[in-house]
Amino acid sequence: MQKAPWTVGLALFLALGSLLTLFIWIPNDIETGVIETFRRRVTIGDAMAPTMMAIGILTVSILMGVLAIVRPEPYSKGVKEGLDKHSLSFLLRLTIAIGLGLALMIHTGPLVVDLVNLLGGDLGSYRLQKATFPYKYIGYITGGFVMVFGVIRVVENRFTASAAWVSIFAVIVMTILYDVPFDNLLLPPNGN
Amino acid sequence: MGLLDHIWLGIVTVFTADPMFSILGLPISTTIVMVILGFLGGIFVGATPGIGGPFAMAISLPILISIFGFNPDALLPVLGFLVGIMKGSTIGGAVPAILFNTPGTPDSLMTTLDGYPMTKKGKPGKALRIAHFSSVSGDTFSDIVLITCAPFLAILVEKFLDFPEKAALIILSLAFVSAVVGANVWKGLVAAFLGMFMAYIGTGEDGYSRLSLGNDDLAGGFPLISAVLGVLIIGEVFKALEEMWREMRETAAITNIEATGDQKLRLSDIRRILPFIGISASIGTMVGALPGIGSTLAATLGYATGRKVYKGDTPFGEGAPEGIAATEAANSAVAGANLIPVLSLGIPGNVSAVFILLATETISGFNPGPAVFRLVPDQINQEMVYAFGLFTAMIFANGLNWTFGGVFMRWMGVMVKIPKQRLLPIVLLLTLTAIYVQQTSMFAVYVTLGFGLLGYVMRKLRISVLPFVIAFILANNLEEAMRQAFAVTGADPWFLFASPISITFIALAVVVVIFFARNQKDLS
Repeated sequence: MQKAPWTVGLALFLALGSLLTLFIWIPNDIETGVIETFRRRVTIGDAMAPTMMAIGILTVSILMGVLAIVRPEPYSKGVKEGLDKHSLSFLLRLTIAIGLGLALMIHTGPLVVDLVNLLGGDLGSYRLQKATFPYKYIGYITGGFVMVFGVIRVVENRFTASAAWVSIFAVIVMTILYDVPFDNLLLPPNGN
Repeated sequence: MGLLDHIWLGIVTVFTADPMFSILGLPISTTIVMVILGFLGGIFVGATPGIGGPFAMAISLPILISIFGFNPDALLPVLGFLVGIMKGSTIGGAVPAILFNTPGTPDSLMTTLDGYPMTKKGKPGKALRIAHFSSVSGDTFSDIVLITCAPFLAILVEKFLDFPEKAALIILSLAFVSAVVGANVWKGLVAAFLGMFMAYIGTGEDGYSRLSLGNDDLAGGFPLISAVLGVLIIGEVFKALEEMWREMRETAAITNIEATGDQKLRLSDIRRILPFIGISASIGTMVGALPGIGSTLAATLGYATGRKVYKGDTPFGEGAPEGIAATEAANSAVAGANLIPVLSLGIPGNVSAVFILLATETISGFNPGPAVFRLVPDQINQEMVYAFGLFTAMIFANGLNWTFGGVFMRWMGVMVKIPKQRLLPIVLLLTLTAIYVQQTSMFAVYVTLGFGLLGYVMRKLRISVLPFVIAFILANNLEEAMRQAFAVTGADPWFLFASPISITFIALAVVVVIFFARNQKDLS
């Protein structure tokens, strides 16, 4: 048997969150009450369900926290729970890879169009080109490639040519899968 | 129109509606093509370690909806494809388990115990044939139970349950899922409450969307598909990637073993394994019909029961064909039975059922629940036609499984060679793209990633994600049932205790929570 500090921490976090929700968020961000009376007709208001859920989370988290202290969960030795510094390091790396991929996906197309305009082209805004080859693919292929290749890089902890080939192949296959057969489907970010 | 008319219409719709092409003058319907494609895709993903049926269902659902649209005509092709994946992945999962000691899906973990020793003894072909026969037998048995029980249960529910009882039934189901899934009842309950709370953000009856913080994107609520795929799929991808990141250097070489001796499935083999298939299929079906208990537990129970009744020479765990049969029949029998609560009550019991329900929520014309099986004099209940169409698609998929499944299954041994660390980043992009294509909004992509992070953290804290997802899906149904119950009981605040049935449901919910809380499971 071992103690579960993460369970106690989680219980405290949830209890605090549900109290804030009950006394600050719900009263200030829902315009009808728990019970509404309109022309002598009594109905359930919009605040009822979230209030019940917040009370539920508060009650269960208190129970969970107290039980985790007085009756620790029957873990066997070696069972891990919670996030350690390695998890946070992994999440940071993953966030960079995915974030960079998404940023390139959104901005590469408009940047290329602006660049062509700067070099003397007359493409207008990206909005006018987002259904035109090759501009409609630039953002998705660049961002998608960086995302897939970046995540593989994070996991394998090295750059390899085979990972790059796999990434570019996968992104091109996805582009063909979604965009070529269906006129009505829009790849990111062309629908926004 | 009677029951038989609806059954016939369901069959006819599946086989004749919207033909895609003809073979020798025989029109082949879109639904049939989709079942076949889903089935082949299911075997493919099932045989690929790291991704399973739910992954494939999650990725394909937005694509299918984009192709077929939201009209009722899309229902049977989309559901047919999902059913095909469900069936195919169940048998596919046994392939790497038997050939390489690597379970393709969590359900087939127990298959490795006897399947891989049989391979090491030079009998991979026989082991695969036993797994296939047992899996398909269990699945077929389960489907028969579904087809006979779901309409009957739905009629009972429709006859005896009014709004207060329906609200109480949803509460009981959520309590059951929260208590049974995962190791800690309280964490399960927190997950369910949290799932419902998040579903209430940006919804409500008032002109101002509640809890939306004045944000226009939040005012529409979190997209259902983003929340479900985020927590279920992206969260799992993040966790699996982290595990590989930590263990990247611990790689194992795959040894090739030559097949020797008799690889065929003989009548004597079938006679040996049939009792084990019968026991495990019954266990799997019972487990599948209860919300929240997955096929992994069914496989474990089937295997444990099989071991108790086994009296053969080769012990369980050392290459006994009965061990494979016990596991595969049990985990496959869950597939059909888990649709019983979906179709009769509108309550999903496991991840595959969540995607079936998600498809029906997205496409109009079919709302799983008691009303599906309501007979209206002189009228066609189109929902009942769709339900029997779904059953027909399941039976057709079983037919494919019996005839071609074994051959395709044996071809898929090669899939184990695909490195998971390269496949999962592709699954990540594919999921995000599928979400964007359906929602046409980067907000939906960010919500998916946010829920993915939530799913990852929940897994790290050993909080089961299934109660969260099921609660998120059922939240609005529960609120609507409570509003209606409050209204029909004349604003009685004790409406949940207004009838003996609803009192029983609420009492059962309390009993289930207390029972499982007192018998806390070992988390290791």
